Amino acid sequence: MNDETLSKNTVSFGLALVIASLVNAVLVVAKESSKAVMEGMKAVTGHHWTTHVAIVILLFIALGLWLRRGNGPAMTASRFIRILAGGIILSGLIIVGFYLIGD
Amino acid sequence: MRELILMAHVLFGVACIVASVWLFVDVLHASEMNLPRIRKMSWAVAAAMWLASVAGGYWYVAHYKVDKAIILKGPWPFAHEIFMETKEHLVIMLLLLATYLPIAAAGNLPASKDARRVMLWVTCLTALLALLMDGEGALIAMGAKMGLMPK
Repeated sequence: MNDETLSKNTVSFGLALVIASLVNAVLVVAKESSKAVMEGMKAVTGHHWTTHVAIVILLFIALGLWLRRGNGPAMTASRFIRILAGGIILSGLIIVGFYLIGD
Repeated sequence: MRELILMAHVLFGVACIVASVWLFVDVLHASEMNLPRIRKMSWAVAAAMWLASVAGGYWYVAHYKVDKAIILKGPWPFAHEIFMETKEHLVIMLLLLATYLPIAAAGNLPASKDARRVMLWVTCLTALLALLMDGEGALIAMGAKMGLMPK
């Protein structure tokens, strides 16, 4: 028997991973472009990077738990994999592109 | 002592790479027999990555400043400006991927081709990103060495 469905947790936390990765990339651009954002992040934990990690990890956990309410998000496995892989690759390209070209 | 922390960071990072490649191959052949091992290895990847991140994160926050100054004054300032700057942010995505692995591994892998496809993609992305981090780390270390060499 081939069970062609993904579990609620797999999809919920997978989408949370993608969103948190994109937020990670946007946060890089924001803090490197704005002294106020950088100083604000330094003030929270003493180091901007520690604050950055905390924000992204907490966002991943919170979003994953929120998305898994009820039956969780409904989508085909192929669409989910495209979003997952595409989101991770796009986030990486934003970060690398920013430091290679934008910074 | 602080050199040991940095070496532990690299060791756990390499363990993450090896474990994720192992996991990829195991998932290709997922069955009821190797499912317990797949789930244990997914936790091993996550644990290795968290240990690498804690060791590396601590070293970065507490001790990297000295190396950074050496790199920026040396002949390879790009070792910090590009490679460390990208590494310290790409690694957060790697941490998310590794943390997600046990969640995806909890699915019915032997019965679900879709669940296996997700695992294969995530282990592949984890292994490749971890390898990239390893390479960037080597370049950063070389940048520090280049900065210390006599002109």
